[in-house]
Amino acid sequence: MDSEDETLYDEVDSGNESSGDEVDFPMEVEGNNPRERQSEDDYPFEVLSTEEIVQHMVDSIKEVNMVVEIPATTTRILLNHFRWDKEKLMERFYDGDQEQLFAEARVINPFNRNSQVINRPKPNRRQSTSGTEECEICFTVLPNSLLTGLECGHRFCMGCWCEYLTTKIMEEGVGQTIACAAHGCDILVDDASVMRLVKDSKVKLKYQHLITNSFVECNRLLRWCPSPDCNNAVRVHYVDARAVQCKCQHVFCFQCGESWHDPVKCHLLRHWIKKCDDDSETSNWIAANTKVSQYNCNRYDEEEAKVARGAQEKSRAALQRYLFYCNRYMNHMQSLKFEHKLYASVKEKMEEMQQHNMSWIEVQFLKKAVDILCQCRQTLMYTYVFAYYLRKNNQSVLFEDNQKDLESATEKLSEYLEREITSENLADIKQKVQDKYRYCESRRKVLLEHVHEGYEKDWWDYNETDSKPNAMARLPVIEHPARPNNN
Amino acid sequence: MANNIAAQRIQREFKEVIKSDEVAKCAIRVELVNDNYTELKGEIAGPPDTPYEGGNFVLEIKVPETYPFNPPKVRFITKIWHPNISSVTGAICLDILRDQWAAAMTLRTVLLSLQALMAAAEPDDPQDAVVAKQYKDDQEMFRLTAKHWTAKYAGGPGGNPDFEMKIRRLTDMGVEEDQARVALSSYNWDLERATEQLFS
Repeated sequence: MDSEDETLYDEVDSGNESSGDEVDFPMEVEGNNPRERQSEDDYPFEVLSTEEIVQHMVDSIKEVNMVVEIPATTTRILLNHFRWDKEKLMERFYDGDQEQLFAEARVINPFNRNSQVINRPKPNRRQSTSGTEECEICFTVLPNSLLTGLECGHRFCMGCWCEYLTTKIMEEGVGQTIACAAHGCDILVDDASVMRLVKDSKVKLKYQHLITNSFVECNRLLRWCPSPDCNNAVRVHYVDARAVQCKCQHVFCFQCGESWHDPVKCHLLRHWIKKCDDDSETSNWIAANTKVSQYNCNRYDEEEAKVARGAQEKSRAALQRYLFYCNRYMNHMQSLKFEHKLYASVKEKMEEMQQHNMSWIEVQFLKKAVDILCQCRQTLMYTYVFAYYLRKNNQSVLFEDNQKDLESATEKLSEYLEREITSENLADIKQKVQDKYRYCESRRKVLLEHVHEGYEKDWWDYNETDSKPNAMARLPVIEHPARPNNN
Repeated sequence: MANNIAAQRIQREFKEVIKSDEVAKCAIRVELVNDNYTELKGEIAGPPDTPYEGGNFVLEIKVPETYPFNPPKVRFITKIWHPNISSVTGAICLDILRDQWAAAMTLRTVLLSLQALMAAAEPDDPQDAVVAKQYKDDQEMFRLTAKHWTAKYAGGPGGNPDFEMKIRRLTDMGVEEDQARVALSSYNWDLERATEQLFS
């Protein structure tokens, strides 16, 4: 494990950070940053609330602005264009054709602002000499001061802008890529203009939400907590398939966003979830259980019937194998749900015990036991996914022994926790529960370490999946919001 | 408020179209259907040098409350044989009526764009797959069919005795005329295959 960590740190993924001059390099900040959390195996991350995400976004913009010295609103559009990869932006800004860069990002070059903008259709302004102008949306003639526009020069009245932006934000859910209202103009509306022109606070809030959402989704080092109703995001220093825990207590894999699924790898889990969701198993069931025609016209064909029976037997065996693993996976998942309810009853028991002359600290073992029970269930659940894809060899036999051992210990622990606790058997039960959970915990560690060792030493052979192990690395990347096509 | 803008806009646009040069050339027209400017009737002349030349095509234009921030809903009332227009419902596949709509566009630009679409079809982005296939596979067949539809439904010039005869053969068998025309057009005027499709 250690050696792997070393190399990972060396290649700290830049994401939206510039790795070279990063101030809070993970190894140095441990303990300094109060928000920083640490999973058991040295994977630093922090949980950001919505406000902190916005702050993080503002900081990123500031950092770039110190160098490039262009308006912050333009910087945000540029950063979004580069999926918040500062280095890439800097590189293009200083090495490439700036004119083209601004055109691609759909902003007016801030350095050309005062000179005449070329290559852009000049808006045909209906301006009269009397200081009034006609809004091209509502066709109302208004004093010049009531019309406004972006750097592209297309001007509309404030009311129409407000309506236009509201429609885009509320109905079409567009945040980062609202273009100017003029036909054929692709210049983007910056956030300062949106906040100035939109009056309704509900629309403003939705806009801010859209902006932060796209910031998080673009950013490889950020991921929303997948738990429903949770508005936090987790920020890491480099992307890896590691467990992170949100402030809402949900523990998930940073790389794929699923519940933490050690020992199985992301790509296999994804394959498994898809397999369980599809109805492919239905057709397998049909193949395995429906009768195959064994007659050719009126002649019974011995050979053909044999082949057909063979194929059917094969698919029946495959189905049974799948069902075996699936049932166990589902059972642990179901039990895990029950264990979460167990917390409530355990809490009650703990209160009761404290009234029987036991101290708070003395009853904590019960909660700890449920914690460990849940962890074991979760690990066991995913061991069945791992085992399903595993091809048999000496190490896989060892793995299955570990699995069996952990499973029986976990069931025992579960059983103890369901027993009635009375003042007479209390001491005895406490001893038993403690012994058992310690045993469970150690068995869980042994099992996981064995699998991890296998990953390092390449012991595991898989079957039935073509997906490449690192295919997952590309999954969280969401395509840059596409521009509506022109045909 | 939005409602107000919509009505105000349409009133102004209405005047604009009536005054425009295109009206003078009899190319486009708009008429009110009701008093509150939510529904209009549009008319486009078939562009010259196309199978639609000489025809007059009627459109249904529905103005949403959120106009001009959302596009008007437009469809052909006059039946037309065109890859980007449904031969059954008259629904139109045109970017500016969907995601490319801009608030600064007007009824005039919409009608002119439709006229341009009639002159230059986009078979790779079809609304009517059958028409688009014919357009790509057999241009001449498409041209004749579109011309026939123009003559039949849009008051265009010239008939097509061969097509008329085939339609009559089907109507004699009890098939409705429009239905017979669609079936024959879809099967490149192959009477046998059209019959088969109608009676299967």
